[in-house]
Amino acid sequence: MSTALSAVALCGAALLAGCASSAPVQPWEKGELARPEMRMDDAADARIADKAFASREAASGSGRIGGGGCGCN
Amino acid sequence: MQLSAPESNRVAPPDPPTGPHPRCALLAAALALPGIAPPAAAFDAPDAHTVGVRHLEYQDSQPGLRRVRVSSPSVWYTGPLGADWSIAASGGADAVSGASPRWHSAVSGASSFRDRRLTGEVRLTRHLERTAWSAGLAVSDERDFRSRAVSAGVRLRSDDGNTEWSAGAAITRDRIDGADPSPVAGDRRTTELIAGLTRITSPHDVVQVQASVARADGVLSDPYKYPDRRPDRRDQATLLLRWNHHLHDGPALLAGSTLRTQYRYHRDDWGVRAHTLGAEWVRPIGGGWTVAPLARVHSQSAARFYYDPVYDPVLGAPFPPGFAATPGRLLSPDQRLSAFGALAAGLRVAWRIDEAWTVDLRAEWYRQQGSWRVGGEGSPGLARLDARILQFGASRRF
Repeated sequence: MSTALSAVALCGAALLAGCASSAPVQPWEKGELARPEMRMDDAADARIADKAFASREAASGSGRIGGGGCGCN
Repeated sequence: MQLSAPESNRVAPPDPPTGPHPRCALLAAALALPGIAPPAAAFDAPDAHTVGVRHLEYQDSQPGLRRVRVSSPSVWYTGPLGADWSIAASGGADAVSGASPRWHSAVSGASSFRDRRLTGEVRLTRHLERTAWSAGLAVSDERDFRSRAVSAGVRLRSDDGNTEWSAGAAITRDRIDGADPSPVAGDRRTTELIAGLTRITSPHDVVQVQASVARADGVLSDPYKYPDRRPDRRDQATLLLRWNHHLHDGPALLAGSTLRTQYRYHRDDWGVRAHTLGAEWVRPIGGGWTVAPLARVHSQSAARFYYDPVYDPVLGAPFPPGFAATPGRLLSPDQRLSAFGALAAGLRVAWRIDEAWTVDLRAEWYRQQGSWRVGGEGSPGLARLDARILQFGASRRF
């Protein structure tokens, strides 16, 4: 694993560790979290845009696997 | 078309406590309103059927020449199957046409083509109290390319609903039939694994970390680029960080809006290292309308076998210097494997017309060029690539 990937992984771990130390959010505090834009999954338009970018770049992957491939000329 | 794996990754707040507490009663009422259904629906089978249509228009270009155009209508459906099951299905037809460069970005190398791609995808999910299991199938057919993918995933929610763990796996089999005169044909198998952790960190913040790996074996060369000879294996790893933050207070312009950000690091054993940063600011403006400016920055290094557009003094383009003396060497003139940076900007507008109907329009502009690479030199001698991406969608719940 390269230094860069290790650094990114450590940042992610630190982020989550910091999160874990905060007080748990109670059910009655979650009204804003119920908004559709707070969901982590991408809407269909975002998935399609990601696919268009991936067809013109060497990198891909936005939290999804198992999609049907394409020749992507 | 891709399958969310493992399905969506919403952290699910539990149902608000029952009882006379006025704040709880208010929240319960708010969650019952259409359009702000709690993300708990990701674990519970959906209580409504939703059908939608979407249309994509994609056009890319380089100075002096329009390149590839894609027109892609699709339909999709999600709905319950009994109390504990749900199904999601979609299908589409892509019409692809235009000119694709046979090597690098040379206008003289562009070849015209026209193709049609049919896609289909179905996913079945079993919803239990704290877990959701899903399995999916995706197919894609073109004249010279066929793809079949199966996937499975599981999500586990913590007792307090603040943490969600997810894992998934997928296997994709592709068949490449390079049309004459391409010598490239054969099979490709890709195995993917993904794991993720999503956590509610405050009443206004959700963060997510996802890691995935993929191994592709088989034909990985481009049948329409010559000379193009790539390794027959590619190992990729991706790390994705996401943070959604709701701006509860502040100036009137910001209050009530949500900032969605993400960072992706990608690396593979071909030598590509890529960093991608994305942001979306979602601003409700009343009357069921929402506007969301979008921005994206991407930067990547080149694959180690990519060669710059400097050609053999005897053979000329598209052959790299020394081509005849090194038969069998790995090489590719594919611009997508070069070192470059890219910027994208756009706007998404959505209108929730009533409890049943929603429509949205998304427009993006994209530019890619070598000099925009961040943290290193970009590949020289390539024309910039521009793209315009337009999408329209409509859906109805019933």
